[in-house]
Amino acid sequence: MDTGSNEPKSRYRQYLEVVTGPLEDKRRWRQYKARIRNLPENYRTAVEALERYLMHFGPGDGADAALMFEDLADLFEQSAADGTPIREIFGEDPVEFVEAFVQSYSVGRYISRERDRFTSAIARAAGEDTGNEERTV
Amino acid sequence: MGKQVTEMLKGTLEGIVLAILAIRPAYGYEITARLRDQGFSDIAEGTIYALLVRIERRGLVDVEKIPSEKGPPRKVYSLNAQGREYLEEFWRTWSFLAERLEQLREGGN
Repeated sequence: MDTGSNEPKSRYRQYLEVVTGPLEDKRRWRQYKARIRNLPENYRTAVEALERYLMHFGPGDGADAALMFEDLADLFEQSAADGTPIREIFGEDPVEFVEAFVQSYSVGRYISRERDRFTSAIARAAGEDTGNEERTV
Repeated sequence: MGKQVTEMLKGTLEGIVLAILAIRPAYGYEITARLRDQGFSDIAEGTIYALLVRIERRGLVDVEKIPSEKGPPRKVYSLNAQGREYLEEFWRTWSFLAERLEQLREGGN
């Protein structure tokens, strides 16, 4: 699908296309990107770094990912309007911030699959009949 | 202070923010400012925002968008009935913890 964009397809974009099937999610993603482009440069740089992180640790569900990026755009537009310094948004440990943020959304497919696998492996090791046999994901 | 307070705050920040909203509705920025006034100076604004997103998604607050002169509309958060209930439970849990910890400090039963 040609989006009319002249920038090369970024890894984030590729990620999003894998994750977000429906066109509605793609439309929301484009709107989000447009909002980010209008931010002052240092805020934009920070958001792009966040995007990269969230590509690995963000939601596996398309609609949820779209919502998450919209929430991020809200935060950064507001911060830019208020002139909130980048460090005040992120605090001393940016990972702490992003981990707190990501908790509101569904976990990524990879993480969720491994958590299920781990939980049922422990149940089996503990000799509990979980009624759900080894999942073949 | 420092590292230890950050760790302890992680489990209680949600209750603290709800308690602030119980007094009166507020913008995200006002909440951060009030926390800083009370000496929680290390809390990142983004962390508060993350928390507000979370309590909104869990239905503990109502959100109203108010147009703003500069920037996007501002979200005003107010505690709803479910949030009040959650806050009461938070205070009960807090009292329980505080009591037990005090007992431990006094060195006995």
